[in-house]
Amino acid sequence: MFKKAAVLLTGLVVSASISAHTLWLVPSHYVLSKQDSWVSVDASAANMTFVPDKGIGLQSLKLYLPDGKVQDVSSVHQGKRKSMADVQLAGDGTYRLEMANPLRFFTSYELNGERKRLMANKQERTAQLPKGATKVETTQMRSRNFAYITVNSPTDTVVKLQGEGLEISSNVHPADVVAEENLQLVFNLDGKPQAGVKGVLSYEGELYRNDAGRIEFETNADGRFSFTPATAGRYLIEASYSADSNSALADKVRESVTYTFEVALP
Amino acid sequence: MKLTGACLLVCITALFCQSEVTAAQSDIALELPAIETSQYHRPYVAVWVEDAQQQPVKLIALWVEKPDWLKDLRRFWRKIGRSNTALVDAVSGATQKPGSYTLHWDGKDDNGAALAAGQYTLFVEAAREQGGRSLVKHEFNLPSEGAVIDIAAEGELGAVKATIR
Repeated sequence: MFKKAAVLLTGLVVSASISAHTLWLVPSHYVLSKQDSWVSVDASAANMTFVPDKGIGLQSLKLYLPDGKVQDVSSVHQGKRKSMADVQLAGDGTYRLEMANPLRFFTSYELNGERKRLMANKQERTAQLPKGATKVETTQMRSRNFAYITVNSPTDTVVKLQGEGLEISSNVHPADVVAEENLQLVFNLDGKPQAGVKGVLSYEGELYRNDAGRIEFETNADGRFSFTPATAGRYLIEASYSADSNSALADKVRESVTYTFEVALP
Repeated sequence: MKLTGACLLVCITALFCQSEVTAAQSDIALELPAIETSQYHRPYVAVWVEDAQQQPVKLIALWVEKPDWLKDLRRFWRKIGRSNTALVDAVSGATQKPGSYTLHWDGKDDNGAALAAGQYTLFVEAAREQGGRSLVKHEFNLPSEGAVIDIAAEGELGAVKATIR
């Protein structure tokens, strides 16, 4: 019991302290041609794309089935450098692996010249802030890490926008992203295209190149970022959007996503 | 699909007998090179035709074994294999050993209808377990008065020579 609590606590500490790292989910296969195939999923928080650095808790990893139902993923292992999960994909269609953090609220403030933080929203903070706290600001945060896997024929159910938080839609199905063909990604906030989403595009093999070849981008007025991948391989998008908020619970919102996908050979 | 001499003979005979009612057949000769390696597996091979919009119109040949590896014929899988199981089942045959093979195509699409005049592309893709993957293609126009397609050998594929009629 104690151990479980300790693990949970560590999870929290880790997720806060590795915020500079990028958390990604990389399935062993993005495309499969046989039902009931197993897929092993690597998850890590790391600076270098797909070079594992820190294993992470996978308690919140979910598998969305082609019909939209959600499954918990029970077969998980947290390693030092990366964590792993096994999922078996029974039927045809497109699946989404997702690890999402629910809404969290941080209130930061200054006390006697020192920056401090507590986990409380705008309503809860009044009771918790110490006397003399200044520069009080509450941020609503949410993050989502995901990847799609397609068995045989692609389907759209789990690719569709849910209309909540930061999500990515695309001009082509995730199973149809091909090298040398233009890919347009639209970043949507609460279901609507959002300008000013900032992100970084990177691809595997950074450890073996002098120039990592990352592309920093900001979505245009249509919420779009488009590019043409030169080579096939596994890619990572990390993106976030911050804005002032006038909600009853926060002064600011910050939504972030990481998305891994495969660019197929032409 | 089994390209033995007997089959070839039957095909030629059929062509001869029906020459008045059917379009002439296109011949596609392809070669699977002998590859020196300790772990040789026969390649998976797909031969098909796409129209000018890159939509598949005719699957001519598919030599495969287990479904697990069909996805390794990357373009074939994306364009045809993953969504047209019935066609895959109907066309697929066993993998072939290194050698020369001649395929025949009656110029019709997967539904047996004649293809409209226009530009098309012949694709040949091969992927070998513990080996490489090769994709070659060549455009042609229909109607074609015996246009000859000549594709140089590349990786998993030997030369491809086709006469489109």
